[in-house]
Amino acid sequence: MGKLTIGCFSSLVGSLSLDFAVKLSEAAVQKGHKVDLWVSGNGTMLSKKGQKAFKDYSALAKKVQELITGGNLQVTACEACAEARGYNKEDTMEGVKRHSMDWYLASTFSANRVLHIGGD
Amino acid sequence: MKLGVFLSDFRTCSDVMDRLTAEKLGIIFVGNGVYNAAVKEGGKASSLLDKKADFYVLTEDLETRGFTAANLDSRVKSVTYGEVVDLIFNDYEKVIWL
Amino acid sequence: MATTKKLGFVIRTMPYKIEGSRLAMTHAISSQTVEIYLEDGDLVEPVVCFVGDGVLNCLRGQQAMKHYGLTSIEQHVKNSLLLDLNVLICKEDVEKFGISEEALIMNAEDIGGETNAKIVPYSEIQQAMESVDHLLFC
Repeated sequence: MGKLTIGCFSSLVGSLSLDFAVKLSEAAVQKGHKVDLWVSGNGTMLSKKGQKAFKDYSALAKKVQELITGGNLQVTACEACAEARGYNKEDTMEGVKRHSMDWYLASTFSANRVLHIGGD
Repeated sequence: MKLGVFLSDFRTCSDVMDRLTAEKLGIIFVGNGVYNAAVKEGGKASSLLDKKADFYVLTEDLETRGFTAANLDSRVKSVTYGEVVDLIFNDYEKVIWL
Repeated sequence: MATTKKLGFVIRTMPYKIEGSRLAMTHAISSQTVEIYLEDGDLVEPVVCFVGDGVLNCLRGQQAMKHYGLTSIEQHVKNSLLLDLNVLICKEDVEKFGISEEALIMNAEDIGGETNAKIVPYSEIQQAMESVDHLLFC
């Protein structure tokens, strides 16, 4: 089995690109792979705790936390991008890590495949 | 190189797609990209489908937009998220998102 | 044994409306400190390619700091040249937009950089894409 690194810079609740990243992560984990999901730019919204699930909006927090607890998904948020948006360390969802951008590059070093989903 | 392209748009990306070449090229329509697989404009299918590549469409995104496999151009194969994972790991060395 | 992995950042989007190109630059530049996470001698080497609409990131004279208080893409490109990153700009796309070399950010001499950006045919960018371990289209 291998490792997939996904970098997603797309907004939470908007374009469904971040939803794609989470669903792809889930599918990869179910197949026995490990996944690093790096969220940067507007994607750091995913790291914020306190997200409410309404049917009119895509809701990813619960799924993300389940996958993190399972041990084969690591979600890491760009610290600078998060702080620029007012998401401080204490606002971060349990299990989500925060690092600087070089962490993403280090993740790609050991990945078998890298899928970078740019910002929009 | 063996390159998998996740195409998430319908109207843009031709500037990149026109020039992309690979020994083995796969185009996986996701998001709004699925319209390339399911819609004809003026009776014509997307010109992307004339490219020399293997074409796939994400079933979940196709059905989200109200299409079924019956709507698909015959050149496109419907794949689930799980099958997409297999494509990523088994068929393509590099994958990109447009 | 020390290993170098190569990442190709292919920037195809215009600047400022979305942050794809800015984040591509800052991530590429972060390669300078990635070794803290790796084994001794292992490295990540980025190559930055501007293609399509992305060549518009390379225009000189950007006033983002003056008008929006934001570091310009121009400054990020210069920082990448200062750090000796390989920066390639697609010749055909520059010509398509009618941009002269003088209008492009080609060096970072004003901040002490010694590496120049290169205007190259798309075929060279294709070669760069084939040579890297992973591609990140931005």
